[in-house]
Amino acid sequence: MNKAFDIFNPTEEHQQLRENVRRFAEAEMDGQAASYDEKESFNEALFRKFATQLGLFGLTVSEKDGGAGMDVTASVLVHEELSRFDPALTLSFLAHEVLFVNNFYHCSNEQQRERYLGKVIDGTWIAGMAMTEPEAGTDVLAMRTRALRKGDRFVLNGTKQFITNGPYGNVFLVYAKTGDGPKDVSAFVVESSFAGFSVGKKESKMGMRASPTSCLVFEDMEVPASNLLGSEGGALVHMMRNLEIERLTLAAQSVGIALRCCDVMTQYAVAERKAFGQPLAEFGQIQRLLSESYAHTQAARALVYATALRISPEHRESLGAAASKLVATTIGETVARNAIQVLGGYGYTRDYPVERLLRDAILLSIGGGTNEAMQKNITRDLARAYR
Amino acid sequence: MKILVPLKRVADPDNANKVKVPADGSKVETTGLEWKPNPFDEYAVEAALRLTENGAQNKVRAGEVVVVTLGPKECETTLRAMLATGADRAIRIEADDDQLDGNVVALALKAIVDKEKPDFVLMGKQAVDGDTNQVGQFLAEYLGWPMATAAATIVEEAGALHVGREVDGGVINLKVKAPGLVTVDLRITAPTSVYSSQTKRDFKYNDGVRFAPLPAIMKAKKKPLDVLKLGDLVADTSLRVIYKKFEPPQGRKAGVKVKDVAELVDKLKNEAKVI
Repeated sequence: MNKAFDIFNPTEEHQQLRENVRRFAEAEMDGQAASYDEKESFNEALFRKFATQLGLFGLTVSEKDGGAGMDVTASVLVHEELSRFDPALTLSFLAHEVLFVNNFYHCSNEQQRERYLGKVIDGTWIAGMAMTEPEAGTDVLAMRTRALRKGDRFVLNGTKQFITNGPYGNVFLVYAKTGDGPKDVSAFVVESSFAGFSVGKKESKMGMRASPTSCLVFEDMEVPASNLLGSEGGALVHMMRNLEIERLTLAAQSVGIALRCCDVMTQYAVAERKAFGQPLAEFGQIQRLLSESYAHTQAARALVYATALRISPEHRESLGAAASKLVATTIGETVARNAIQVLGGYGYTRDYPVERLLRDAILLSIGGGTNEAMQKNITRDLARAYR
Repeated sequence: MKILVPLKRVADPDNANKVKVPADGSKVETTGLEWKPNPFDEYAVEAALRLTENGAQNKVRAGEVVVVTLGPKECETTLRAMLATGADRAIRIEADDDQLDGNVVALALKAIVDKEKPDFVLMGKQAVDGDTNQVGQFLAEYLGWPMATAAATIVEEAGALHVGREVDGGVINLKVKAPGLVTVDLRITAPTSVYSSQTKRDFKYNDGVRFAPLPAIMKAKKKPLDVLKLGDLVADTSLRVIYKKFEPPQGRKAGVKVKDVAELVDKLKNEAKVI
């Protein structure tokens, strides 16, 4: 008997990956999430287990280069499953795996892969990506970090802001201007041991607190010319390509949060709490919160996975990625807020995970391009067909 | 060391599609069920992997684990999941569930043991669907091998398995020489339950069944998976156990409320007659 095509688990490998990641997330991530949020600290030992126990880094790297050769759907399902239990540690995972490994793999040459890929796949090194600056966020091309060629080196000066894994990273993919034109952007691999590299203030955040964020400061930092990724001034293409999988995996994180919140509020309203002698789920107002949360979560999930099927290194889908992020992150916030409302006073306390999940969910409407940027991009892409 | 681990897939009890029994009670309806490996068999695979490695360097295999199941083609999903977890080879014996009872399964497994010549057979103490707890015992009997059932700990020394078996009030220690058969209980996956002769005794495993790393999931489909026919292995496949009729369990009846302790005591004494 042939089973119908399952958009969430297209192959047996996807299904097995999901089962393993889910079991790991429940067993290892759930119990520690609240305390690392409270302490605002990074569970480095657990982060390494993503490599040592699950082999998740290099998910989209081909098998011949030491990865798993999986697709965007696999990346999406991993982010969804991990995020259900600890969105913050998942964000650090995303910065390492999607922003560095996936990005680096698709724009590096043989020598660069030889030097860096093994270390980031086996988790010896923690990685991140540096694009945003203090005065260049959504308007990323306003970045001021400059790289000047000097013989066989580039000299970098500038500051990068809100860098996930900043305080712990050994290696970063850094974007910098190599010319005066707005599109003269180049990408470099920067090791934290390079002279002139320093880590700035660690941010104290509303949510995603178990994922360390800081600024990175480059003062006359010398980077070997061999660490230039792709061509000089040619970074925009792969920057934009990588933004698509970044936005989709961030959207997947929101889906994971929404699924968990649905789970918690439904369990509470059906089986835990009674009011006026009846379970909360018997009340129409609560039914609206439960049912709309479920329906909207399923809608967001379907959009994210449908988009995942269409994105590959060869196929761009910026419209779908932006739409997925806009929809899923908005729904993630709404559903987390609904969960708090269903749980009432308990939802507002730290005895239940939903207030943390709401704080974490809000970042997903900001990072990787704000929802306002998504609205702008979607309209721009749509308008092309009408001119 | 070479270990053979027989596996069974069972209906996933957490899945929404529960086992159904048609009104005439003629069979158990399995259409639409989600399947998972019998948990005790997963524990046996974990124990077998621990016995064929040095726990501190478990990327290097120091023995062979062969997994075998009986069933239709879809059962290969279960086998590949075990190959991803670390088993080295897999065998599927083509059969339908209604062709099998504990006896036929044991006869088929005996034929596989005769062919594969493992040092040990490790298996779950029972499957969580039928809960018959027969196959291990039948198989050891047909092979004429020593057997220890419901092992909580296994330590390998000089090719023999020292098995700890938890019973009320203590632990029975058994030594099983090769070739032999051991069935395992749930505590076999605790951090210090199983040691091969190469694993140092101060080493601690992660609790539970290990995760399948993603690269291993991708490589599992390249590991050998042989398919054999039941009829080629077992001459007499007639069933000794015939299931005549199935009935779903009775739904739970509503309880009664008692007004005070005295009434409760009275009911326990005179109605339930438990005190």
